[in-house]
Amino acid sequence: MTLQQKVPVTPPAARSRKNVVAPWGLGAALAALLFFVAALVAPQVLATHDPYALDLANALQAPSLAHWFGTDESGRDLYSRVVWGTRDSLLIGIGATAVSLTIALILGAIAALAGKYVAGTVNRVIEVLFAFPTLLLALLLVTVIGPSAFSQVFAVGVGTSPGYARMIRGQILSAKNSGYVEAATALGHSRGRILRHHVIPNAIRPLVAVIALSVGQSIVWASSLAFLGLGVAPPSPEWGALLDAGRLYITQAPWLTVIPGLVIVTLAIAATTIGKHIQASLEKGEK
Amino acid sequence: MLRTPAKLLSVATAGVLATMALTACAGGATGPADGAKRVDGGTIEYAHQQEPACVFGGWIEQAYLSYQVLDNLTSLDEDGTPVPWLAEEWSASDDGLTWTFTLKEGVEFTDGSPLTAEAVAYNFDHWLGGGNSTAQVWLDGYYESAEAVDDQTLVVNLSAPYPRLADNLTQSYFAIQSQEALETRTAEENCEAPIGTGAFVVEEWNRGENIVLTRNDDYTSWPANAKHEGPANVERINWRFVADGTTRTSALRADEVDALYDVPAIEWEGLDTAGFDLAKYVTPGRPQQLSFDTVEGPFVDENVRKAFAYSLDRETLVETIGKGVIPFEGNGGVSQSTPGYSQKAADAYSYDIDKANELLDTAGWTETDADGYRTKDGETLDVTLPYGAGSIINAEGASILQGVQEQAKEAGFKVELIPVPQSEFFAGAYSTPEERDISAGYWTAVTAGILHINWRQNLPDSPNYNNDAFYNDPVLEDLILAANSEADLDAQNALYAEAQEYIADHALSIGLYDRLSSLAVSPYLKDVWQENAQGGPVFHDAYFVE
Repeated sequence: MTLQQKVPVTPPAARSRKNVVAPWGLGAALAALLFFVAALVAPQVLATHDPYALDLANALQAPSLAHWFGTDESGRDLYSRVVWGTRDSLLIGIGATAVSLTIALILGAIAALAGKYVAGTVNRVIEVLFAFPTLLLALLLVTVIGPSAFSQVFAVGVGTSPGYARMIRGQILSAKNSGYVEAATALGHSRGRILRHHVIPNAIRPLVAVIALSVGQSIVWASSLAFLGLGVAPPSPEWGALLDAGRLYITQAPWLTVIPGLVIVTLAIAATTIGKHIQASLEKGEK
Repeated sequence: MLRTPAKLLSVATAGVLATMALTACAGGATGPADGAKRVDGGTIEYAHQQEPACVFGGWIEQAYLSYQVLDNLTSLDEDGTPVPWLAEEWSASDDGLTWTFTLKEGVEFTDGSPLTAEAVAYNFDHWLGGGNSTAQVWLDGYYESAEAVDDQTLVVNLSAPYPRLADNLTQSYFAIQSQEALETRTAEENCEAPIGTGAFVVEEWNRGENIVLTRNDDYTSWPANAKHEGPANVERINWRFVADGTTRTSALRADEVDALYDVPAIEWEGLDTAGFDLAKYVTPGRPQQLSFDTVEGPFVDENVRKAFAYSLDRETLVETIGKGVIPFEGNGGVSQSTPGYSQKAADAYSYDIDKANELLDTAGWTETDADGYRTKDGETLDVTLPYGAGSIINAEGASILQGVQEQAKEAGFKVELIPVPQSEFFAGAYSTPEERDISAGYWTAVTAGILHINWRQNLPDSPNYNNDAFYNDPVLEDLILAANSEADLDAQNALYAEAQEYIADHALSIGLYDRLSSLAVSPYLKDVWQENAQGGPVFHDAYFVE
């Protein structure tokens, strides 16, 4: 066996029961995700009504065969609004995740790889940002920028980035100080090659699972902002906005808040389940 | 930390069940037994919707608060006539240019300084100097000076007759503050805790949470229409700010508060059935209406304005969302509770989509794009409608505006709704003709004299930033000015009605719904009433029973 052969591409990771996803759970998560993706791509196929059409004679109708999720105060079909709202909600979630991970990658990489002073400064920046609760930081940003879909994406992206930045920094440091990097260094590999072939791939790989988890989480944060009236303009059926609009009617028409809430939870659970499955698969592959 | 989908699902299910349980337990007061005993003192826990920047100012939300701590010269009675408050009597000269007010004797501000004619005259100059933006625009063009003849006699000189002056002075924008406080304290101190002669004083203001008002034990200047004489019965009011209507209602049902302001329409019937005392005041003045931009954009064309009005079934929209609690208002000039209201103006436009289409065709908006919106020379019939979200337009109003947006779409209007946060709105966002096509909002008043504020021309040497339609028309202005100075009430009302019809004829503004001041009060709290000028709660007479 040569020394080269002893350098593992990926460090072994402990596998635990917590990351095991039951097959039925994964199946349900994939089915839910499939529905949401279909609603994102072709809402007109899934929706039963025009999501914006008023039907004043049928305002505040409870769920029924005619209106599966009931109707709102203007008689709009809630199921169709939820379906059409998937696009806004998912795109905001995906966009926020992209912003968050981009910022996190830049900050995390600098914090781990740059010289003492630069890394120290970036670490302090991450710590300061980390000191703010995510929602508070997002609220602050939306207040400054003004409410819109863009500001939701930006605010949630920035708000959630410090946690990921810290995680990425840890991954890079762990890879950088690992035995296989030491071995690669001993073998005389250049710094650039070590970074490209060992440090970066090993630090980035866990992010695949994180992305799936983060999309679900970002949708929850974005919905929170919309619930506070800091989201997309009305009458958008974005899920958080639906929750916000329904709260005035919660005692008389609880379906207006319960159903959008359940939809958000369903997507978050589906994304989390799939993320965990990916994570478990990666770990399995590493064994 | 949640680890498995099963756990997450069980938590979600529990959440749903909890929500269902919470919504199901909509409890409420059953009311005190017959012969319930009166209790002296106590603290009224009151949940109000909006928090203003200062206690005293030019917004109705400030008027509600300042009514508790400041007194006015006059108070409005139930029949709409002014009755004595700080002024015992008043009269106008034959030419209507000189008003003489005789003040009550022995009244002191809560800083110990006496109520004198000189102090009141100082207040007039203070308002006109920017101390109250609403008082300023009411008196602007009429007020010349205020002089103290002696300690108890005040003379107000006008440049033109204004026979309804005493009526207007009943609004809390004209509340009297201590001259000494205005002269010696900082603006911030006078903002947070103005010094008046009122039934309560401001003890503390915890921004974002509440204002604590404590009883003025030396109160001597209750209005002639008060339900009792003497200081307030209760010791304290905890004036809490609770923006969410459902939370306010739940707090009342749970006995956490004794009264709330702005009862959500959806909750009205339930609270009534549960035994809470409900009061509704249709605010006179400008209703919640839509004013069209007459100098920029598509609404410069009168036909387009009329088409918009005909494209809406406003009455059904308001009746559905307002649950029969919020009244539909067709008149864009003044609300149905305003003296001189014109039903003809209110009836000018009802839903007629054919007429709307015909008018748009005439205006040249003949083509439609793929989404069904009208176009002209390649431009979409795109109109912007910004509104003060939560401040000027509440949640129900926002739903009504979404209905407007959808109904107007049928005729080919693409309406963009822009909810504007309170701070941005009051800082002047979307206030120029270039920034908006439709302005939504109200302006409370006790007379149709509000038309002067809303429709006076905006001229370089005499700007009027409250002319939301940017409509400069000497004919309309002269009509309103003639009404303002007309001493005969019937003749005055006829002139005001004519002005409203002029506004309707030219589709400068259309009404949507009447703004309400509504209260829900625990049956264990008695004699809370709505004052007649603005509909705010009066707690001076209130007392608890057990």
